[in-house]
Amino acid sequence: MDCHKKALELMHKHLDGDITRAEEHELKVHLEECLACQKHLHELKRTVTLIQSTERIKAPEGFASKVMDQLPIEKKRVRYLR
Amino acid sequence: MELIIREKIKQVKKGDQTAFEDVVMFYQDKIYQHCLRMLGNQHEAEDIAQEAFIRAYVNIHSYDERRKFSTWLYRIATNLTIDRLRKRKPDYYLDAEVKGTDGLDMYSQLAADEKLPEDELEGLELQTYIQKQIAELPSKYRSIIMLRYLEDFSLQEISEILDIPIGTVKTRIHRGREALRKKLRHV
Repeated sequence: MDCHKKALELMHKHLDGDITRAEEHELKVHLEECLACQKHLHELKRTVTLIQSTERIKAPEGFASKVMDQLPIEKKRVRYLR
Repeated sequence: MELIIREKIKQVKKGDQTAFEDVVMFYQDKIYQHCLRMLGNQHEAEDIAQEAFIRAYVNIHSYDERRKFSTWLYRIATNLTIDRLRKRKPDYYLDAEVKGTDGLDMYSQLAADEKLPEDELEGLELQTYIQKQIAELPSKYRSIIMLRYLEDFSLQEISEILDIPIGTVKTRIHRGREALRKKLRHV
């Protein structure tokens, strides 16, 4: 069970691009002999793909002009010369 | 694009208010989407997203041009959404950490493996289902998952946006991915 825990940690490091070469090798060796961990990594990668597949939302019509209407009126900075 | 935005910001700093409209146009969809996904309510999302741009404008002189503008803008928007979420009691309750559980919250103690009844699952479109699962993540995981996978920030940038250590960002992104894996493995 501990070895799965270690592998899990390495999977997340791998997904974050945070893994050393030695760790990458260690993970690879483990995955070759552990179907459960292979499946787990596959599910994690698929999860990321599913998240990225969600549609992008657009701001409501007229958003920018509503923001512009609410901006404080620009005050000219007055310098007093002595 | 960063270059054009950089130029626009310089103009805004010099007092050219109209240049700010281009900045709003460029980021409005992203910032609105972020607020909507965080708050789950269109009216509130529009309100908070507008407030974020107004604050950015008012505080533009405190923006350091050596840094990425988007990181600075997201930081303002994220702080506003977090403030808004805190004011909501039920959500706060679910997000609250349970004493003595090392960062576990009420949410993670609910059964994550629980499958929806089949007919309910069939009735929902996949897109809607995925969005629902993201929306139901505790907000501290949801914000990071979105910043990373929908808005493409690096872990370092996320740590700057949320003002939390990079180690915390990593822990939360791991937990967020695991929570979503459990919810999405059957789809």
